[in-house]
Amino acid sequence: MNTIAVSLFLLFVLVTLYITYWAAKQISNRDSFYTAGGNISGFQNGLAISGDFMSAASFLGISGLVFATGFDGLIYSIGFLVGWPIVLLLIAEPLRNLGKYTFADVASYRLQQKPIRTLSALGSLATVSLYLIAQMVGAGKLIQILFGLPYDLAVYIVGGLMILYVTFGGMIATTWVQIIKAVLLLFGATVISILVLYQFNFNLNLFFSTAVNNHELGSKILNPGGLIKDPISAISLGLALMFGTAGLPHILMRFFTVKDSIQARKSVVYATSFIGYFYILTFIIGFGAIILIGSNTDYLNPEGGLIGNNNMAAIHLAHAVGGDVLLGFISAVAFATILAVVSGLTLAGASAISHDIYANVINSSNKNEKKELLVSRLATIFLGILAIFLGIIFEKQNIAFMVGLAFAIAASTNFPIIFLSMFWKNLTTSGAFFGGLIGLLVTIALVILSPVVWVDVFNFSEAIFPYKYPALFSMTTTFFFVICISLSDRSNQAIKDKKGFQEQFYRSITGIGIEEGKKH
Amino acid sequence: MKDISNLISIKKKIILPLLFTIIFSYFLFIIFIAYFPELLGQQLTNSSISYGIIFGFLLILIIFIVTLVYVFLSNKYIEPEIKKITL
Repeated sequence: MNTIAVSLFLLFVLVTLYITYWAAKQISNRDSFYTAGGNISGFQNGLAISGDFMSAASFLGISGLVFATGFDGLIYSIGFLVGWPIVLLLIAEPLRNLGKYTFADVASYRLQQKPIRTLSALGSLATVSLYLIAQMVGAGKLIQILFGLPYDLAVYIVGGLMILYVTFGGMIATTWVQIIKAVLLLFGATVISILVLYQFNFNLNLFFSTAVNNHELGSKILNPGGLIKDPISAISLGLALMFGTAGLPHILMRFFTVKDSIQARKSVVYATSFIGYFYILTFIIGFGAIILIGSNTDYLNPEGGLIGNNNMAAIHLAHAVGGDVLLGFISAVAFATILAVVSGLTLAGASAISHDIYANVINSSNKNEKKELLVSRLATIFLGILAIFLGIIFEKQNIAFMVGLAFAIAASTNFPIIFLSMFWKNLTTSGAFFGGLIGLLVTIALVILSPVVWVDVFNFSEAIFPYKYPALFSMTTTFFFVICISLSDRSNQAIKDKKGFQEQFYRSITGIGIEEGKKH
Repeated sequence: MKDISNLISIKKKIILPLLFTIIFSYFLFIIFIAYFPELLGQQLTNSSISYGIIFGFLLILIIFIVTLVYVFLSNKYIEPEIKKITL
């Protein structure tokens, strides 16, 4: 066990628990719990968003993918980044102008509350739980390797700390945990990259040619390899990544923590810059790992593979260029990263339960802010325990499909509903509800029937649905059904739904009528 | 409600070309990956940097530029127009 890693991690935990204590004293109502009272600045929110988005999975996973295949890692990085201009141009500002706590506020703005909130909450919870399981399992395995702790204990620690942060500190604590983690991660990745490039006198040509000579695939690491085999998969993956980001509930929720649409726009600009910079670093780190650890027996197991697995590339590289100190720092940062990401996810899930399901569907006639706040805290504890439980159950399962499925649902259910409710005047309650539900079911069905679950998890020899990525089909299905059902909807509700568009659109682009962040 | 048709048309003029730029360049990248992977693997003369890497980093640059251009145009043309309506 690396003592530097453990002490740095303990320091992080102490600081974040103190922040939680400080935040808990400020939480008096729903506003402060869900959105930190709308008092976060654009810059802070940009950092927090990048904290939410730069998960341990993307840091270690993408640098590991670059280490294994070279160029293919870049395809993923760019896909994750290209969702951001879509969020900036289409979603961020109208979302801030129309919503208060969750994206369901926006989706149900002019439609019937109960069905649309139920559907949005379903989409949120599906996305959040899949993401959460993937993070928990990843966390358990990573901490096992880094700190030598048993898997179960690691999952308990992550789940327990996350419950503390979110239950007591709400959005205020979650935001600061994200900000601290984002700064640490960006700093750590920058240090590794600089130390790597320093060895090549910052000569990129020499850097890449050394990597080519060092990799068993040779110059193949400079072109697209096995990740995408056919055009349909390529376009489908592209769509899921491009529009999935705009449908991730924990990301969308962050736009309600700023004062107005100008700050929302600023948040995306900062977030895009940090995330883009971060992905450039993961690319350098992956190539650096090819050169410095790919043939260094200190980091290889007897079979010639990386100790741990390919996802450990960045960690081993930190040790190779910065010794035990940098290894300890990066390990602690990886742990912190997991904690921050699961906190953001849990808060988004809890608010879907308390604000959408409890306050606006189950108990909509009897609004009571105090009770809603209590329910959101109980929901946090419930989701935290569920995450621990599922993290342990799924330890030995193949969960590689989960983040892909989360993105597919975000792109095929959440995004179409948000997008059409904001910009299409003929959207009706029935169209959004039934179209969205069909889209959700089709997405899940296609993933189950695809090679990633049917063959890799259920061990059938051949998949029923031949493509690994369903978004091209599932997104089209959702848009098709939402539009057809809306157009054929002749109900009285449909007339009301369409009538409400003009007022909603007016508010969405002028911001007149929004509740601004309260000054303390 | 005041007349916002002018604001809508300014927003469309700014957002649609930028959106088109992003979607077009990203899918061009994807199409190249799917149909011409060897072309992306070709290396620049006297260098070990491939066209694919150049294309990838160019795309990241385009994303940065689109973001900055949008902020610039937004502050210059959209915000004053919104102020006219809200004041």
